Amino acid sequence: MEFAKKIVESTEEIFNTMIFMEVAAESPLTQGKQDLGCHISAMIGLTGGLSAMLGIHCPEDVGLAISGAMLGMEIEEIDADVKDALGEIANMVAGGVKERFATENINLELAIPTAISGKSYTIASTTTSNRVIIPFSIEQGQFFIEIKYHLN
Amino acid sequence: MGKTVLIVDDSNTMRKIVSRSLRQAGINFDQILEAGDGLEALDVLAANKVDVVLSDINMPNMTGLEFLKAKAENDAIKDIPVIMISTETGADIIDEAKSYGAKGAIKKPFTPDLINETLGPLL
Repeated sequence: MEFAKKIVESTEEIFNTMIFMEVAAESPLTQGKQDLGCHISAMIGLTGGLSAMLGIHCPEDVGLAISGAMLGMEIEEIDADVKDALGEIANMVAGGVKERFATENINLELAIPTAISGKSYTIASTTTSNRVIIPFSIEQGQFFIEIKYHLN
Repeated sequence: MGKTVLIVDDSNTMRKIVSRSLRQAGINFDQILEAGDGLEALDVLAANKVDVVLSDINMPNMTGLEFLKAKAENDAIKDIPVIMISTETGADIIDEAKSYGAKGAIKKPFTPDLINETLGPLL
């Protein structure tokens, strides 16, 4: 199903056209790494041909840099604007994934994104879910885009 | 008289990006109004003279498609052109939006050039 390829293409398109930051995708994590060392996450659900949760997870500095570039302003702390910006990135990545699956006759619907922040949190999913995590690097550090899914 | 645009999106970030993209595209409105969902958009249209609407589809309270339907049933505002700006740009959804009067669609992520190509002919 090439989840990683679809996510990388969608993410690069967003960073090139709307965030204007250099981004480099790295190899998908092969192990189920649980602690990504992140302080803010935005997630969106997908339903239809598969059930999935797509999330973007960032350390604080990276989240501030991405949202600041997106909004064209300097942001010093995680606030509603940062959560909103990352939620919109999750929404657009999911939209790109949806568009690419549509070419394979797999139709998906998107929910409305949500975001959380904190020093320590865990995002759980059903144990039967498949999981793909792709690290991306920008100048300020690394962030992750993750999809947990199972086929319907 | 100057022109007014209404940007409808539940994301404050996206409303700011659309505003910035309009400027980058060289499309200068005298007034930029904002709404966070379709219900707010109907209120803004009732209280202001708006020349064009740029609207998201996937929003809480009232979606972009529901907004189009409600607008089409109101003689006072039904002729105001609407362009959809959304991650939801599948043929089915866009055909449905056009059946309710949408004049075009822009896929997120977008460039200022794409905004100009789609919106320019309506102004």
